[in-house]
Amino acid sequence: MANHSQLGFQDASSPIMEELVEFHDHALMVALTICSLVLYLLTLMLMEKLSSNTVDAQEVELIWTILPAIVLILLALPSLQILYMMDEIDEPDLTLKAIGHQWYWSYEYTDFKDLSFDSYMIPTTDLPLGHFRLLEVDHRVVIPMESPIRMIITADDVLHSWAVPTLGVKTDAIPGRLNQTSFTTTRPGIFYGQCSEICGANHSFMPIVVESTPLTYFENWSSLISS
Amino acid sequence: QSFKLLGFLDVQSVPCARESVLYGSVGSLVVGLGYFLATSRVRRSCDFAVGGFICTTLGYWFYCRYNLAQQRIRQRMLKEAVRNKILYEGSHFDPARKQTGNERSDS
Repeated sequence: MANHSQLGFQDASSPIMEELVEFHDHALMVALTICSLVLYLLTLMLMEKLSSNTVDAQEVELIWTILPAIVLILLALPSLQILYMMDEIDEPDLTLKAIGHQWYWSYEYTDFKDLSFDSYMIPTTDLPLGHFRLLEVDHRVVIPMESPIRMIITADDVLHSWAVPTLGVKTDAIPGRLNQTSFTTTRPGIFYGQCSEICGANHSFMPIVVESTPLTYFENWSSLISS
Repeated sequence: QSFKLLGFLDVQSVPCARESVLYGSVGSLVVGLGYFLATSRVRRSCDFAVGGFICTTLGYWFYCRYNLAQQRIRQRMLKEAVRNKILYEGSHFDPARKQTGNERSDS
């Protein structure tokens, strides 16, 4: 989860998010160089006297057409690579349905028999010491780590959005529509997210908690919870 | 506590950022000073200095990020290889065992 006053990304827990963070760093470095150039040109112009002597500027016009085109290519190539990477579907090991309701999520593991549950936020009054306020839920989404997971996301009533920043996942939950996303967790842990589409009074109080565990523990959990 | 260049680039936590900015600064000094020593034109030397900063920063950035990407790929391959070795060692799928078996059958 994010620390207080955190502005940057959370540490990546999926390969796609790692690539997104790398691309973000790359884009920021390009932005830094452009900002330095603009700052310098601004300073120069502020020191010059105003004049209308320039009538022809073919060379500089050529430069400020070609240079931005090059910059855009430098940004577009890795961006498109990641975009297509995000759409790849690696034969998933598990398919999970997430259904948004007002104001909780329900999850269905249809690969198993009778494994589905609702996930409500734990109110602050019932929160044990040391747990995270407005983020903890009564039933977490448990998934096996390092396995491709397919998420099918929809909603029961109004628009919601299933988002877990550390996994690089944010998908709208639209009533009457099934949206698909996939991810693979690279490490075990508990990953937090929150509903990301305004859905009413308790929109801020329907968090998402994904628990990534080794396969053995996942199998134990699935047998316990379905019984 | 992180230091953010121009308020947004965290040079301490972003790999290659610190080196790029440092090399860029050195490159800017070298190019700017060199041009000034050669021509004694102050305004144009400053232009070259800024150009040198941008080119050196971006140039080292791409070089460093490319190497970093290759390193990450090698790390992933190594991690997979170590895991497979542990998993398959001594079993039918162990490539070392197959190789030894072939050598024995050849001899």
